[in-house]
Amino acid sequence: MVYPFGLGLYYSFTSYWLQYPNRFRFVWFYNYVDLIGEPLFVRALEFTLGFALVAVVVQVGLGLAVALLLHARIPGRAAIRALMLLPLMMPPVITALMWKIMMASTNAGILNYVLSFLGVDPVNWFGSTQGAVVSVLIIDTWGNLPFVALILLGGLQALPTEPYEAARVDGAGPAAILRYVTLPLLSPFIVLAVLFRAMDSLRIFDVIYATTQGGPNDATTNLQIMAYQYSFQWYQMGKGMAQAIVLLLLVVIVSYLLMRLWNRASESAT
Amino acid sequence: MRSRCRWLAGLFLAALFTMAGVTTASAQDDEALAYYRQAKIDWQQAKGQSLTIGLNKHPFTESLLPLIPEFRRLTGINVEYLILPEAEYFTKLVADLSQQRGEFSVIMTGPVRNWQYVPPNWILPLDDFLNNPKLTDLGWYKLDDFYPALIAANRWNGKTGGGVGEGPLYSLPVLEESYILAYRKDIFDQYNIKVPTTLEEMAEAARLVKKNAGIPGIVARGTPSVASMGTGFMSGLKSYTDGQWSEFDDKLAANFHDPRSVKFTETWIAMVRDSGPPNWANMQWYDAMEAFTAGQAGMIADADFFAANYEDPKKSKVAGKVGYALIPAGPGGKPYAGLWTWALGINKATRSKEAAWLFVQWATAQRTLLNATLGYRNYNPARASIMNDPRVQEIMGAWGGGSYLKVVAKNLETARVAWIPQPERTRLGDIWARSLHEIYFQRMPAADALKKASNEVDKVLKEAGIK
Repeated sequence: MVYPFGLGLYYSFTSYWLQYPNRFRFVWFYNYVDLIGEPLFVRALEFTLGFALVAVVVQVGLGLAVALLLHARIPGRAAIRALMLLPLMMPPVITALMWKIMMASTNAGILNYVLSFLGVDPVNWFGSTQGAVVSVLIIDTWGNLPFVALILLGGLQALPTEPYEAARVDGAGPAAILRYVTLPLLSPFIVLAVLFRAMDSLRIFDVIYATTQGGPNDATTNLQIMAYQYSFQWYQMGKGMAQAIVLLLLVVIVSYLLMRLWNRASESAT
Repeated sequence: MRSRCRWLAGLFLAALFTMAGVTTASAQDDEALAYYRQAKIDWQQAKGQSLTIGLNKHPFTESLLPLIPEFRRLTGINVEYLILPEAEYFTKLVADLSQQRGEFSVIMTGPVRNWQYVPPNWILPLDDFLNNPKLTDLGWYKLDDFYPALIAANRWNGKTGGGVGEGPLYSLPVLEESYILAYRKDIFDQYNIKVPTTLEEMAEAARLVKKNAGIPGIVARGTPSVASMGTGFMSGLKSYTDGQWSEFDDKLAANFHDPRSVKFTETWIAMVRDSGPPNWANMQWYDAMEAFTAGQAGMIADADFFAANYEDPKKSKVAGKVGYALIPAGPGGKPYAGLWTWALGINKATRSKEAAWLFVQWATAQRTLLNATLGYRNYNPARASIMNDPRVQEIMGAWGGGSYLKVVAKNLETARVAWIPQPERTRLGDIWARSLHEIYFQRMPAADALKKASNEVDKVLKEAGIK
């Protein structure tokens, strides 16, 4: 692990083009400074952070709702839990391609076909900038919601029962129990789910590459896609590695902050 | 006793049929290989060696695979292959070539790709193999049977900014691809729409198809990558300017912001935005081809050989309803369509150079390419003898009610590799394609977006040390 990382870090300080081996030289921080001045890098950074934020909020919010539902004694609970595992079993690329077919822009796509019965005009899922961002979010949520729901469901099932009994004796209703008992006790699990999803959402690649390849008009280009383009489409390995290092730093910083939050949440929950 | 006789009789008959089968197969084998054995070379001179072929997922690949066992029987060379979708194929190929590991001995390549591989000396010139009588019987191979433009496209003298058609031959073509206009003749006839001969007429025809037939008037590649630029769009732009515009001026400064290019781009983007499919910005070549084949578009300006799909009654909803025309021209009235040819080349790092050459020679031989065309729909033929074969003429001659072959022949009179040779063509094309998205989504006017693209390309070429 140390050697590949060290080599990648070294390359990020070089002008390393695959097809011009004789132009290889050390350029210090030129790649990083050049990135800052590149409009596409700024847009990619905005999308990386923005997408991660929205994805985490949507997926953890929905995951909590699903976990609460599955924790309650509803009919067919076991079957629903089993079905929930299906998205987790599918490789992300297959998931993305499956959704790409379903999201065809005309009524040939099943999604638009179903929406037509609700009186909705065909949605341009991948051909418009907003549509592409929403499409990637939907696909990513479909693939990862079960994971979040399972973490939170496990947390719910591990919670002690005494605080609930005490709350009911005090006359607390369901909303109050949820707000003052469940959420505080569940907070370490919530932060854990946020940590996992944040790390993955910042680095999302497969869904974007399989559907939009960063388009249209760079609307879904994040740092990971950009690093791939520089390294494997344009063979400018030095700049590609610089972007990968920037992304790594971003993930490390966010993860560190969330870990501190998780420690605090764990302490206050006990 | 009786059952024993019956058992022996059955065994005897089985042996007889097996021997007959083996003899028949052997006779067929001899017949199939007899053509190749006419060449005055020893096909078995590399017997026992192994090759790995790098192949892009493409109709040519599908036509080659069923024929490979024949090569194995002919030469005794063990052949394996790796097939990948285009983007992944070139990524893996460049990784292998750059490290000169020799994972791939024979590669699927083409003119503009070779411009990346020649400067760092990653692929071998083929002239030495062609001129070696131990390896090639030129009289049998008939190099001059290939269309001259295709051979020229695969030659390059290595000089940035020019030199195509000069210097060593780096790959041998397996098909011809140029760019023409295919249109729905039934819709055009029904609504009295004129077949366009200029860009403005094309935009008007697209508008009328959409208005009257309720389907996109035109479909085109739109993903923000070089793959979207070199076919219909580039051919249209070159034709619009009578072949006078190039992506670089004579000082190798990027030239997208030339007023003629701006005007063409504005008209083209307005056409696809107003009359094209809503998901144009996400369309790959196969999306565009399949949309037209499924009857979901009035026109498509793209690869001529897509006609094999349009005219396949088993797959196509428009078989028999398609007309073919030249790409709309500029004031001079002539098209200047681009030209591409998939071709086979040899990795310099291969440990089996002779074996690799025997494969390339076999795969591009007249009989192999004829079998690939007749049996497995490898279009368009790269050799004139195959194009003129009565069986091929019978198939292709029916396309477009006979208009297809005439249009392709006329087109090839002026079709040329559209790009200017330089190793950063992929990067240039990607930057250029992104600028089209800026214009399509109305983030920038065309002049500004294309000027920005020119500046970006100039910066890349400077960083790469090309200028």
